[in-house]
Amino acid sequence: MNVTRRKFIQITGASAAGLAVSGLGFDLTPIKSHAQMLKTKYAKETTTICCYCAVGCGAIVHTSKKGDGRVINIEGDPDHVINRGSLCSKGAALSQLTENENRLLEPMYRAPYSKKWEKVSWDWALTEIAKRVKKTRDASFEHKNAKRQVVNRTTDIVSIGSSALDNEECWIYQAMVRALGLVYVEHQARI
Amino acid sequence: MSKSFLIDTTLCTACRGCQVACKQWHDLPAEKTINRGTFENPADLSFDTYKLVRMREEVINGKLNWLFFPEQCRHCIEAPCLETAGDPGAIYRDDKTGAIIFTANTKRLNAAEIIESCPYNIPRKGPDGTLAKCDMCIDRVENGLLPACVQTCPTGAMNFGDRDEMLALAKKRLAVAKKKFPKAMLIDPDDVNVIYLVAYEPELYCANAMASNAVFDITRQVALGRMIRPLTNIASRLL
Repeated sequence: MNVTRRKFIQITGASAAGLAVSGLGFDLTPIKSHAQMLKTKYAKETTTICCYCAVGCGAIVHTSKKGDGRVINIEGDPDHVINRGSLCSKGAALSQLTENENRLLEPMYRAPYSKKWEKVSWDWALTEIAKRVKKTRDASFEHKNAKRQVVNRTTDIVSIGSSALDNEECWIYQAMVRALGLVYVEHQARI
Repeated sequence: MSKSFLIDTTLCTACRGCQVACKQWHDLPAEKTINRGTFENPADLSFDTYKLVRMREEVINGKLNWLFFPEQCRHCIEAPCLETAGDPGAIYRDDKTGAIIFTANTKRLNAAEIIESCPYNIPRKGPDGTLAKCDMCIDRVENGLLPACVQTCPTGAMNFGDRDEMLALAKKRLAVAKKKFPKAMLIDPDDVNVIYLVAYEPELYCANAMASNAVFDITRQVALGRMIRPLTNIASRLL
């Protein structure tokens, strides 16, 4: 027998009416023990700007006040003039930038021609990056171009910035690479 | 006054913000999937996926249309799952919001029977037999926030509020949609708290967009279950 939902409602309605007549005379409503506490209730709230596209949506970051300070939730900031609380799927997944078991927690290094990645220390990695950047930059630095105009640039280094940087981090980053003389500075989110 | 959603699919761009926001708020893990030649992903609702944007490519009047349908529990006004379970410790209606809530006690229900009873094919069984589905973000709603999916929606496709407000909005949006899409309609607005506005026939959007004839043979059992429910209630409170 095929029963449409509408028919279903009629049938259950009828049986309910039958029950009402028979009435048992005492309240059987179950005691609902759903402690509906927001997971963000005791969290610290900080505002930020979504790191992905150029729209620049505002978001609220809820972080734990209990010691570890980890991110509990990130959602759209209803007071933000651009997105008024909304976020697309990328923005809605912002908390995964920090709370994700697949995240790398240490710098990894693959030597030239090597097939494997190895864990290295931050100290070693930063020193090595600084050394190599300095070497390439010094070797390729142009003070003047062919027309004898002062350019102070290097065209041997290109920066493709990470989408995972927020507005302020991006500013600091581009200020640093421009100080080195880079002219090819691009941001992944715009590509 | 119960709460309702109005999901205006004519405004949906399938950005899937709702789908991700739902996972994010509920701390649900991602699922490993394969490329099936569609952006619709994962392939189906699951124990870990309460909300899924359905995407269908349909040729209508000689023109290709990409139809989007953010599928979720409808929070029925007379919920067949609740009636079938007859166990308020496992499935109950939250009186303030009208949300149909599945608890951890759904483990003691016959999962197949509950899933079968849903005219929209929504509940999904977990590895330990517990059932899961959309909970209307009842924790957020009770604290004055919008459900995560509604809060995040950038286009205004997802709306949430008091039922009469949503019905009024539905009427207004339908009138607007009708001008462009003569076949536009609301899906089961009198029976559910999650009302969809679609531009074309609901069956084009997803198999269970509209309460269908897909419910077989549960009637007698459900009717009986409803008659004896007070007894099962007593039993479940004694146990």
